[in-house]
Amino acid sequence: MELIDREDHQKLYLQLYEILRKKIETCEWQVGAQIPTEDELCRMFGVSRATVRTAVLELVRQGYLKRQQGKGTFIYRNIISEGLNMQTSLKELLLEEGLEIASRVLAKTVMMPVDDLDQKLDITPDKHIIYIKRIWTVQDEPVLLQENYIPYHVCPLLLEDDIENHSLFEIFDKKYGIKITRAKNYMDITRLSADEGRVLGLPEGSPAILLIQHFYSGDTMIMYARAVKMPDRFQFSVELERKVV
Amino acid sequence: MSDGKLAKDLMIGIFEYPHIPYWFSINQAVRIIKVSFISTKKFPEPMAILVFDEKYNLMGTLTLKDLLKGLEPRFMQATTKAQVPEEDESGLAVIWDSLFKKDVKELAEKPVSEIMVPAKHFVQPADPITKAAYMMVHHDLVLLPVLENKKKFVGLVRMIEVFDEISNAIMSE
Repeated sequence: MELIDREDHQKLYLQLYEILRKKIETCEWQVGAQIPTEDELCRMFGVSRATVRTAVLELVRQGYLKRQQGKGTFIYRNIISEGLNMQTSLKELLLEEGLEIASRVLAKTVMMPVDDLDQKLDITPDKHIIYIKRIWTVQDEPVLLQENYIPYHVCPLLLEDDIENHSLFEIFDKKYGIKITRAKNYMDITRLSADEGRVLGLPEGSPAILLIQHFYSGDTMIMYARAVKMPDRFQFSVELERKVV
Repeated sequence: MSDGKLAKDLMIGIFEYPHIPYWFSINQAVRIIKVSFISTKKFPEPMAILVFDEKYNLMGTLTLKDLLKGLEPRFMQATTKAQVPEEDESGLAVIWDSLFKKDVKELAEKPVSEIMVPAKHFVQPADPITKAAYMMVHHDLVLLPVLENKKKFVGLVRMIEVFDEISNAIMSE
């Protein structure tokens, strides 16, 4: 049996998570079976209850396990990731349903690619880009500040479109026939700049979740998006399409 | 004269020039000038950047001179002819070594909105180029925006085309 390596720099719960995930994916633990209790896992791997709980919680969150009240935790799926079930709109990324989500455009203008934006957008540095900055509110409360960068030549008339009442993806698709076929999402923790804090009503340096998205149509880069979100208000959901083995 | 040519006959497209929003720093504008013109060995007359607001309205222009002026220390900007006799710059000799070096990085963090030349004067597409020439001469402009219905920014008239057109008229008469 694979055991925890205390010499390894990786956190214990991550090591345990990997071990348990392998057991599920290799069918050592069958779908539908109950996993050992927390105490048993603590003994099996020589780790604390907190480590076991965190690893199991992550497996539950990712859909491998399911908890049943009063019964225990069971293998729910024996799964292999097959890529994103793509969510392109921010409304789709906000987990809670039934909430009133709105966006307000703070800026819609044209600029040149500064810093490494040319590389991010796969354009030469002398190409113009459309810059859109929006604040997203949920129940009138600012929750997320999003900046979109689109190579100007991809959609020159976008500046004249009503992006307050239509999603960018709807406009890309229906008006310009640009289908977003691929998205790469990255999440990280960041600290708000003074400007971001002012817009979100928080002090500069406040911790926030950073969401970076790259959108493609085929191999063509269509848009780069950067968003900062307050960590304690509402959740993102990123849904994965998985194949049951 | 100019054969009745209009601003729209001479104007060039706005995408011939780099665009930036007003909150960009001088540092960012300088990098854009380098990338768009100097490193590509494209030297349009004038080399300039167009500065826009958050609703994509033209706010002003930035030439190389404006950028350099923005990098001058404040005490230089305060210098006027009343303080220094005309043509006599000997009193400034001590600062040549430090000018554009000391504090230049800090000064380059200023937003371009502080140093741009505001776009106060413009012509309409159907205006004669003589009007454009008059405005450029009397308002000391090398680049003049062309606005449709006094609102939509559709092009730019440059001094070089205006001069060329007027000089043709002189030579043919």
